[in-house]
Amino acid sequence: MSPYFNSPFFLSAITTSRQSGHLGLIRSVLAICVLGLVGTCNLGANEPKKQSVDFSRDIRPILAKHCFACHGPDKKEGGFRLVDQESATSQAESGARPIVPSDPAKSELMKRIASQEESQRMPPEGKGLSPREIGLLEQWIQEGAEFKKHWAFLPLERPATPVVEDRDWVRNPIDAFIRKGLEDASLQPVGQASAQVLVRRLYTNITGLPPSIEDVNTFMHSVESHGLDVAYESLVDRLLADPRLGERWARHWLDIVRYAETNSFERDGPKPNAWKYRDYVIRSFNQDKPYSQFLGEQIAGDELESTNAETLTATGFYRLGIWDDEPADPLQARFDEYDDLVTTIGQSIMGLTLNCARCHDHKIDPISQKDYYSMVAFVRDVTSYGARGNETRNSQIDMTAPQVNDRYDSLRREQESIEKQMREIEQRGIVKMSAEDQRATEGPERGKVLRQKLEANLDAGDWKTWTGHRDRLKEVREEIKGLPPRIAALGLAHCEARPPVTKVLGRGNPTSEGEEVAPDFPKLFASKTPSITEAPADAKSAGRRKVLAQWLTSEQNFLTARVIVNRVWQHHFGRGLHKTPNNFGQMGEAPTHPELLDWLATELVRQNWNLKPIHRMMLLSNTYRMSSSTIREDGGLNQEALEQDPSNDRFWRFNMRRLSAEEIRDRVLFATGHLNNEKFGPSIFPKLADEVKAGQSVPGKGWEDSNETNASKRSVYIHIKRSLIPPELANFDFPETDSSCEARFLTTQPAQALGMLNGAFMQQQAKKWASRLKESVGGTPERMWDAAIERAWSRPATSEDLESLAQLTAKLKRQHQVSDDDALKFACLVILNANEFVYLD
Amino acid sequence: MSNDSPSPRGRDAFCRRTRREFVWQAGGAFGAVALADMLSKDGFLSQQAVAADGKTPFVNPLAAKPPHFAPKAKSVIFLFMYGGPSHIDTFDYKPNMIGMDGKSITVKTFGRGGHRNEGRVVEPRWKFKQYGKCGKWVSDLFPNLGECVDDIAFLHSMTADSPIHGSAMLMMNSGKILSGAPSLGSWVNYGLGSVNENLPGYVVMLDPTGGPISGAKNWSSGYMPATYQGTILRTKGAPILDLQPPPGVSRALQRDLLDSLKVINDQHMQTRADNSDLAARIASYELAFKMQESAPEVVQFSDESEDTLNLYGVKDPKTEDFGKRCLMARRLVERGVRFVQLYSGGNHNDANWDAHGDLEKNHNLHAGATDLPIAGLLKDLKRRGLLDSTLVVWGGEFGRQPTAEYAKGSGRDHNAYGFTMWMAGGGIKGGVSIGTTDEIGSKAVEKPFHVKNLHATILHQLGLDPNRLSYFFSGLDQKLVGVEHIEPIHEIIA
Repeated sequence: MSPYFNSPFFLSAITTSRQSGHLGLIRSVLAICVLGLVGTCNLGANEPKKQSVDFSRDIRPILAKHCFACHGPDKKEGGFRLVDQESATSQAESGARPIVPSDPAKSELMKRIASQEESQRMPPEGKGLSPREIGLLEQWIQEGAEFKKHWAFLPLERPATPVVEDRDWVRNPIDAFIRKGLEDASLQPVGQASAQVLVRRLYTNITGLPPSIEDVNTFMHSVESHGLDVAYESLVDRLLADPRLGERWARHWLDIVRYAETNSFERDGPKPNAWKYRDYVIRSFNQDKPYSQFLGEQIAGDELESTNAETLTATGFYRLGIWDDEPADPLQARFDEYDDLVTTIGQSIMGLTLNCARCHDHKIDPISQKDYYSMVAFVRDVTSYGARGNETRNSQIDMTAPQVNDRYDSLRREQESIEKQMREIEQRGIVKMSAEDQRATEGPERGKVLRQKLEANLDAGDWKTWTGHRDRLKEVREEIKGLPPRIAALGLAHCEARPPVTKVLGRGNPTSEGEEVAPDFPKLFASKTPSITEAPADAKSAGRRKVLAQWLTSEQNFLTARVIVNRVWQHHFGRGLHKTPNNFGQMGEAPTHPELLDWLATELVRQNWNLKPIHRMMLLSNTYRMSSSTIREDGGLNQEALEQDPSNDRFWRFNMRRLSAEEIRDRVLFATGHLNNEKFGPSIFPKLADEVKAGQSVPGKGWEDSNETNASKRSVYIHIKRSLIPPELANFDFPETDSSCEARFLTTQPAQALGMLNGAFMQQQAKKWASRLKESVGGTPERMWDAAIERAWSRPATSEDLESLAQLTAKLKRQHQVSDDDALKFACLVILNANEFVYLD
Repeated sequence: MSNDSPSPRGRDAFCRRTRREFVWQAGGAFGAVALADMLSKDGFLSQQAVAADGKTPFVNPLAAKPPHFAPKAKSVIFLFMYGGPSHIDTFDYKPNMIGMDGKSITVKTFGRGGHRNEGRVVEPRWKFKQYGKCGKWVSDLFPNLGECVDDIAFLHSMTADSPIHGSAMLMMNSGKILSGAPSLGSWVNYGLGSVNENLPGYVVMLDPTGGPISGAKNWSSGYMPATYQGTILRTKGAPILDLQPPPGVSRALQRDLLDSLKVINDQHMQTRADNSDLAARIASYELAFKMQESAPEVVQFSDESEDTLNLYGVKDPKTEDFGKRCLMARRLVERGVRFVQLYSGGNHNDANWDAHGDLEKNHNLHAGATDLPIAGLLKDLKRRGLLDSTLVVWGGEFGRQPTAEYAKGSGRDHNAYGFTMWMAGGGIKGGVSIGTTDEIGSKAVEKPFHVKNLHATILHQLGLDPNRLSYFFSGLDQKLVGVEHIEPIHEIIA
């Protein structure tokens, strides 16, 4: 890219960046994810082509912003509302019709918003509508003033792939949709990213780890021999089969399902075996288990026709939330637990904020309170996580092999029987003892007394029998000890097969019961009410969740596929096609590419819900292969795009992104050569500073110390204790654990810098890395820096890089009398702190 | 952004704009959108600061923002008496209980031991005396604080949703009995930012015996970005985690590391000049470097006079620890830190105010450690003219029952039906007592107030409308005070 530095365009690039950067800066520091926000409002300000107006995208936001406060879903001032065509076109109290379709001049609304007279102008406060907004409304009324139904609530249909002018740019249908969007706005895409950038991007986005320099070189050779396209495609295929994929993509799912391994509240006690659910998710993604099956197992893994350890472990989904073992109001707490489930299912799977309808009908979306409680009815057989003192019965599923369990049982029975017989014999001896000794046998001294005095108080026959029992008991106990341990998984171990009737609760108050409801799907789907018969007396569960599971991925549910393909897109491209991934309702933002989203959703169904083909298609698109720079294919600066679409709503370039907390920590371990690639297993406990533990009521409680090898496993294996998130994760925006997280914040704050520079983990890693470099590379400092940069930044060092480190080293040695070893350590620390290390092009 | 949106000022302006308007208008995905919107309108966009290198633009996410209306208080010091002090043994004078000790009475209580309908009265164990012009009755546990009653407004009719530590702590700190919501200090920083960018805007200081139960959940920013979470400040060692470079790294050396890092980052940025996140990250290192200088200065008392140190009891082993933290609290608010929370008591059982066993031993210990320092704090703030702008809040997550928990002894179980908290400074009336509990302090009877009213009052004094300060999350406009309209406690507002 260097030829462009000298071009006149480069200078203008800087000027432009100051403007867009200024806004962008606010974005980053306010922790608003990656994109969006600012640009949207400006978008279209200079739109060159007149397109037809889209109600959801163009009109509804204007009405909501300026009109709904008085004429919206909640209010009907002046006797009219602007929520559907009927309400907006009928006569208002004044006698006028707010909107007359196809006739803006007769529409009272147009007169009022454009009025120059203070007393007439609407809205009464503020500056009023902008000329652009007025123009859009006028065009919309002219075109018939159709109140089109919210896009996400329309059945899923496969849109035709658009035809674009620049067909050469289109590698697959994704590109056709993206390029069409650009052409509509008369914008050009930037050029393609370099092979070096692409290899780093692919590795990072698929596996969560960077390529080693050997990986980079292999790819470069392959590019040389087979050409970029062939080399790229084969790398995509290889990486999609890489088992590290599951370790990155599982974490995204864990964010969505509020994964944590403790219960929060006073004790924040552990959820044993939660890690098995995490491993289940990793395995599922690696196997490319169909998403429909993946959901089915989590929602009803215990009710499937054939259940197994895998499907039962999946029901851990229900057990991941917070749980108060000592609630002040147990009934309220119970409904808070159902709410956690309905909220999570609604947002994570369907992108619906069903939770907003707990106390009253949803204010914006067509979700009634009855819908909410009908969903509660589906999960009504899910028991509470536990009861104080018994946290296993409901939530720990015994998975011990039957023959082992049988042996446990028979040994336990034998043990009990022997103990009983021994007590009977002992009693015959005890009654002959002194009162003092008799009393002593009722307490902790019993064993001692019996050892000393039992033989003397028994007849020979009894004594012989007793000693026989004693010896056998010892054997039995030892055999129990020698048995393989019992195995359990976190999940639905115990359900309420015939749960109480579910009722609508007035204002969400469990003591204010209203209408009775049966399990039913939200009405907005227009699905048939399922008929579920009461479970037989011996059933283990109510049999409702399997009905829900089936429906979630049936044709009737038009949201599930949309929601998941959007998430896949989100984690490859930096933001979803729909920017509020947990909220596809009308309070969410209008999607930038709804047709593409729908196309991908239908494609997922066509691919039998396998996600890897969707990943593959995204990765092979030209859209994905674009550079994150601002330079067009022809070498010119993409001035128009920067000005008209600074937040990249139309994907005219690839979004640069800061790595996540996990990616940063993993990358540090990878760079220094200390990453332990071992997969799966109980969670790890990286070392926490005493200062961090000091915040606990019992410092250190619930935090083990993993040995160094274990502690160097990937971050997805870190134990997630709700009240004690390690600073390496928390500083870099690890999500709040107690509810579903649709997209992480991206903050930039000094605590990150302090941790990266001074934190024990970073200091230790830099030091170890330096000694490793000395051993394995050796030679001049330049050689070692070169190797370090290659390892950390996945590219060869430039002379500028080496010069900067040389200057630093000279200064350290001259002015601070630092040893060679320490100087190398500091160079390593700088390399790990560089923006290039934590940002992906 | 949204140049054409109406001004947020004026009584109805905000109410006429619903959250969904915000979302559509801003086109953003996350709750911080509301903040961004607020900031842009308030001229925040033009207040771009420059980092220490004098060039790099940096916008501090905690930069001060204008409140909704003129504030009375600029900062809050929340003295959290963890465990729950007994109101009838401290500030809620119950003369009619004298002589009732040991009597079995019918009274509804709800605490750790569950619901009960009768109990054995434990008479208040300390004598009460009248103090100040207002003649407030205060127990012998707080002889020093007694001298400050004319600056204090007592709230005797507080109620909370839970008498169980776990959920009650969450309630007092975040307004909800379920975990996952932002704490009060986070809300304050979200609404107002902090005027000193070299120090955290929300500081928490813990008891040496440990944190409160639920640990970091108590100062979590919940569903808001981590920018708003509380930062633990320590009196010993490095005041903030990872603040100080490790041994062997001098400030000058660290400067050289940062300079070198900057050269490398500048090179990287050359072809990515339009991405301001990169510049922001460079600037954040400079801010960290400045914090390294500012934060330790707060915990150094070398510029404090002997008289001041004595005022806080810093030299007496009994009061030294809490005294130091109170003095630090003053130094923090002096430097513009918005929200400071100090815990009296930590860990479990008698290491905090949770007097289930021997009430006298417990409360003598904790009141003994805090009475003088708190009085010192109020007096010091006052003489420096800081009390007017600093809102001091005192209380625990609940109070205690009038009856005994066990067959023997003076221990009291938890009581969320009625308890006392007090506020001083920051535009709060002095020498007043509002609300009452019944004759034995078992429950609030006159003018009961909920924790939400307390939160509303705190926000109100800071110039924030509690019913307006909202954050969009999970499809809802979340508020510290919840969905229902909540009034501040007007009776104590000067």
